[in-house]
Amino acid sequence: MPTPIRVLVAKPGLDGHDRGAKVIARALRDAGMEVIYTGLRQTPEMIVNAALQEDVQVIGLSILSGAHNAIVPRVMELLRQKHMNDVVVVVGGIIPDEDAEELKKKHGVAAVYQPGAPLEAIVAFLRSSVHQPA
Amino acid sequence: MRDRYGAQDERSWKLRFHTQTAGCSLTWQQPYNNVIRTAVQAMAAVLGGTQSLHTNSLDEAYALPSEHAVTLALRTQQVIAHESGVTATPDPLGGSYFVEWLTDEVERQAWEYIHRIDAMGGMIPAIEQSFPQREIADASFRFQKQVESGEAVIVGVNRFQSEEGERIELLQVDESAASRQRQKLASLRARRDAQRVAECLEALRCAAREDRNTMPLLIAAVKAYVTVGEICEAFRDVYGAWTETSVI
Repeated sequence: MPTPIRVLVAKPGLDGHDRGAKVIARALRDAGMEVIYTGLRQTPEMIVNAALQEDVQVIGLSILSGAHNAIVPRVMELLRQKHMNDVVVVVGGIIPDEDAEELKKKHGVAAVYQPGAPLEAIVAFLRSSVHQPA
Repeated sequence: MRDRYGAQDERSWKLRFHTQTAGCSLTWQQPYNNVIRTAVQAMAAVLGGTQSLHTNSLDEAYALPSEHAVTLALRTQQVIAHESGVTATPDPLGGSYFVEWLTDEVERQAWEYIHRIDAMGGMIPAIEQSFPQREIADASFRFQKQVESGEAVIVGVNRFQSEEGERIELLQVDESAASRQRQKLASLRARRDAQRVAECLEALRCAAREDRNTMPLLIAAVKAYVTVGEICEAFRDVYGAWTETSVI
């Protein structure tokens, strides 16, 4: 029996729209993953610290405020500083196509999920992209 | 209000209500469909006798609404008010078997919730036990599953999709807006009567501690150019801040 994938679902910034984050969190939990949800209004520092302490393999950032271009690069930078490059970072929310490309190519985000992304696709992607210890 | 809270003023016994169309019904796919959804919901609100109405903008699943989208939302209300004819009668659906039944059903289910919450000791203990949060999270998860299975049809999302994306013009918030606002705030703070600001804030803290009506003091505070942030901080000094236990 493999150990379950550990995921931190986080809401950075000031928007209070966490309906989607909670739906995703529950879908990942139902798929057998261990999910920690940070709650609202987290700073990149708080998120990276939580990821470190909880020893997660995945961080899911949910951003609906339009501040993704400020927040996501900061999270990625902090992860690099703490040598946590192996953490898979995915972003969900209202992210325009151009920004989604930039976040992936320039900042190393593994996937960006826009409205309409099926829950099963997210589960499948995380299963395939997290390297489980044998 | 009369029976439960002993309200004396007859006006406070009346059910007066505001309606906002449902933000969660707005879709990112085929955004122009949102205008139609909002119109249907706004019409329902007017048929239900609402006293006040907010219609959402078609672009709210994308960004803060643009001027164009906000105007269209306003025009939706104006068409209902001036062209549809529904406002000519106080209760156009009065006597409709189905609507009356539905109203009774909503009332019955609302009472069920009120009794459950009362049994928990009221709304504050219910929130502390994550009851309303869990109800909302359960409902949204159920809904998402229904959308994904196709049991709930959302036009343009899981049925009648189009290949071509509709592009709409979005409000761009200029990045200098934040620094402009900071400058405005700094110059306001320099101009206002600092002594008066401090007095207003102390009066607010004092009233909050003694559980007195803070409304007249709030009005005095904003007239003295005390900011909303400072007012909230004063309340946080007295009451602290609530951190929600996250339930998923």
